[in-house]
Amino acid sequence: MNATGGTIVVAYSADRFGDAALEHGVALARRDGGRLVVVNATAGTSLVDARFAHDAEISALRERIEGDGVEVVVRHDVVDDVAEAVVGVADEEDAGVIVVGVRHRTAVGKLLLGSVAQRIILDARCPVLAVKPADRLT
Amino acid sequence: MSTTTTPTTTPVAPTLVDRAQYGLAAFLVVVGTYVGYDAWTLEAGFSDQPVQPYAIPYVVAAGLVVLGLLLAVATARGDRPEAEDGEDVDLSQGTDVRTVALLAGVLVANIALIDLLGWAITGALLFAGAAFALGSRTWVRDLAVGTALSVATWYGFYVGLGIPIPAGVLDGVL
Amino acid sequence: MDLLLDGFQTALTPGNLLFAAIGVLLGTAVGVLPGIGPAMTLALLLPVTYTVGADSAIIMFAGIYYGGMYGGSTTSILLNTPGESSSVITAIEGNKMAKAGRAAQALATAAIGSFVAGTIATVALWIVAPTVADLVVTLGSPSYFALMLLALFAVTAVLGASKLRGFIALFLGLTIGLVGTSTGQARLTFGNPLLADGIDIVVVAVAVFAIGEALWVAAHLRRKPLEIIPVGQPWMSREDWRRSWKPWLRGTAYGFPFGALPAGGAEIPTFLSYATEKKLSKHPEEFGHGAIEGVAGPEAANNASAAGTLVPLLALGLPTTATAAIMLVALQGYGFNTGPTLMDEHPDLVWALLASLLVANCLLLLINLPMAPIWARLLRIPRPYLYAGILFFASLGAYSVNFQAFDLALLLAIGLLGFAMRRFGIPVLPLIIGVILGPKLEEQLGTALKISQGDVSTLWSEPVAVAVYAVMALLLLAMAVAGLRGRDSGPAGPTDTRGSDERELVER
Repeated sequence: MNATGGTIVVAYSADRFGDAALEHGVALARRDGGRLVVVNATAGTSLVDARFAHDAEISALRERIEGDGVEVVVRHDVVDDVAEAVVGVADEEDAGVIVVGVRHRTAVGKLLLGSVAQRIILDARCPVLAVKPADRLT
Repeated sequence: MSTTTTPTTTPVAPTLVDRAQYGLAAFLVVVGTYVGYDAWTLEAGFSDQPVQPYAIPYVVAAGLVVLGLLLAVATARGDRPEAEDGEDVDLSQGTDVRTVALLAGVLVANIALIDLLGWAITGALLFAGAAFALGSRTWVRDLAVGTALSVATWYGFYVGLGIPIPAGVLDGVL
Repeated sequence: MDLLLDGFQTALTPGNLLFAAIGVLLGTAVGVLPGIGPAMTLALLLPVTYTVGADSAIIMFAGIYYGGMYGGSTTSILLNTPGESSSVITAIEGNKMAKAGRAAQALATAAIGSFVAGTIATVALWIVAPTVADLVVTLGSPSYFALMLLALFAVTAVLGASKLRGFIALFLGLTIGLVGTSTGQARLTFGNPLLADGIDIVVVAVAVFAIGEALWVAAHLRRKPLEIIPVGQPWMSREDWRRSWKPWLRGTAYGFPFGALPAGGAEIPTFLSYATEKKLSKHPEEFGHGAIEGVAGPEAANNASAAGTLVPLLALGLPTTATAAIMLVALQGYGFNTGPTLMDEHPDLVWALLASLLVANCLLLLINLPMAPIWARLLRIPRPYLYAGILFFASLGAYSVNFQAFDLALLLAIGLLGFAMRRFGIPVLPLIIGVILGPKLEEQLGTALKISQGDVSTLWSEPVAVAVYAVMALLLLAMAVAGLRGRDSGPAGPTDTRGSDERELVER
C-alpha cells in the first residue's frame, strides 16, 4: 500500500472533527497529488443528524477544495451503517489512506454508543490517519 | 403486497384504480351485514325502553353497507385515497410491509407471553423487538434500555400509582 | 367571579402548579418530537391519570394541549414539517423566515403571539362557556339530541377532504360504540364475556392514536435527515413588534369563534388570517418569502381556536378535535356527567381548568422563549427508540386498565384498523367521536322518547331542535351545491375555497 499519489478517503462529519479530517486530507492530496473522496453519510435514524451536512454545505465544500486545485468526489448518502460505508468506499476506490477525525469520549458514552472512528480504524484494509482538531480540546 | 401508488410513477393515468380499496369496501359491507344480523337476533326491549335495542344497530348496519357500496362505486370511478401525511412520514416510497409485519409480530408475541412472563419481561422484549424491527442494530443496548423501561414502569405503576401490574413468572422476585 | 378566583386557588396550589409545568414541558416535547402529537400523548396518559386527582389530571392536560401547539410551531419553523394542517402556514412562512436568518424572530413572534392569543381567548372562554352552558342546560332532550347530531355531522362532513371517508370513519366508530350490554342485551359481543362491558374507550383511543400512528409512520419512515436551521435565543426587534401585534389580535379574532363552532377547527382561521395579513400588509411582496405577519397572524389564530374548541367541550360535552375528544374521555373516566350540566355540577373542576389555561399559557412563555435551542435537540432521538417507546407505553397503558391480554389483542386489532384508515385516507377524528357520542346519542334518544311516551314527533317539538335541523339541512344543501359547482368550474362554498387556498400555498 502506498499513501502517495493514490486516492484519499475522508470520513467527513459536519463538525470540527470532520473539518480537521478534511483539512488533513486536503493537505495530503496537495502534497502528494492524490485525489480526494469525501464521504458524508448518515444512517438516517433520527429526524435530524447534525453530522450530516446540508446540501448547500456540501457544494460550498466541494468548491473550496476544487479551488485549492484538488480533484474531489463527494459521497453524500443515507446508508445502513456509516463505518461500513466509509470502509466500503475505500475498498471500492482502492484508497491509499482513510482520514478520520477522532474525539475523546466519556466512559458512559463508550458504553452506550459504538464509535464510527474506532470501527473504521479496525475494519479498514488500508492505513488510517486519525486526526484531532487543532485546539486539542476534547 | 402493497398497491400504494406514487404520483411519480404514474403521472398520466387518470383512471388508475386503487384495488386495495375494494377490500375496504368489502370489509365495510361484511361488518355492516354482521351488525344487521346481530341486531336481528336481539329480542324486543322492556316496556320502559322506547328505543328498541336493535333500532340503532339497524341504522348503523344500513349505513355501513351503503357506505361500502358507495366506496366501491367511487373506487371504480377512479377515486384514490389521500394517505395521511405527517412530520415523519415519507409518502414517496411504498408501504414498508416488512417493518409493519415485524412490529405486529412483536405485539402478538407480547400478547401471547404477557400472562406467563409478566410485563417486566415482555415489556423489555417488546421494546427491543420493536426497535429491531424499526432498524436498530445495537441489540444489547436495546435490551438494556427496554429492561430499564419495563422494570421502572412496573415499579412506577406498583409503588407510585398503586396499580398492581401482575408480575407473572417474576412473582416474588420483583 | 368567585368561581374564577376559586379556580385560580386550585390551579395555583404547588401540586397543581407542578402538574401544569409537567404538562407544558411534556406537551412542548411531544409537539417538537416527530410522530407524536398532543392527542396521542393524552391517550397514552389516560390510564395513568385515573390515579391522580381529576383537577390535577385536567390541569396537566391543559398544559399538554397548549404546549403541544407551541412545540409543533417550533418544528414547523425550523424544519418545515407541519405536523397538522393548522400549522401549514407557519411552516411555509416561518421556515422561509428561518432560512433568511430570521429563525429567532419567527420563533419569538410565534411564541408571543400564541401567548397573546391564548390569553385573550382564555378570557373569552371564561365569559362564553358559562353563558352557552346556561343556555343549553334549559333545553330538553330533543334539542340536545339534535345538537349532538349536528356535532357528529359537522365533524364528519365539514372537516376533512372526503365526506364519504368521514362517514365511513363515523360509522366504524358507532359500530365500536355498540359493543356491550348497555341496553340489557349483548350486542356484538360474539358471546365473549370480556366484551360485555363494551370496548374500553381508553383502549380504542390508544389503539387509534398511538398504535395506528406508530405503525403508519414505521411503514413510511423518512430516511434522509431533514435540514434543520440552527437557532439561538428567540428575540424580536422594535420593528418586528410593530409589525406583529396587529396580526396577533386579528388572528385571535378569527381563531376563537371558529374554534368555538362545532365544525370550525383551526385550519380555516389560519388560512383566513394569512389571507387578511397579506391583503393589509404594507409589504405584500414579502409574503411567501418570510413575512413576519404571516407567522404572527396564523399562529395566533391557531392558538385562539384551540381555546375556542373548549367551549363546545365544556358547555355541551361535544368534542370537535382529537385532543378535546380525549379530554372528554378523561372526564368521563372520572365519572363526570359530561354535557351541559358539567359546569353546574362540578364548577370547581371546570373553573380550575379554565384558570389553569392561563397559568399554562404564562408558563409556556416563560419556559419556551429561553429553551428553544434545547427543544431542537430532541429531534436527535433515534427513531427506532421513539416508536418502540410509543408501542411500549401504548401496550402498558392498555394492559394496565384490566390486566388482560385480551385488551392487548383488541389494541392490536383496532391499531391495525387505525393503520388501514391512514392508508385509505380515512380521518380518525370522526371514529373516536362516534365511539364517544354513539352511546350517548342512543341514551338521549331514549330519554326524549320516554318523556313523550314513545311519540317520535317530540324530536322536533322544540324550536331549538328545529333550528338545529334547519342548520344541518342548510349545510347539506351548501355541500351539495358546492359539490356540483366544484365539478364544473372553480371553488364554491367555504370548504372548497379553503382547499384551493391550500393548493395555491403548497404550489408556490
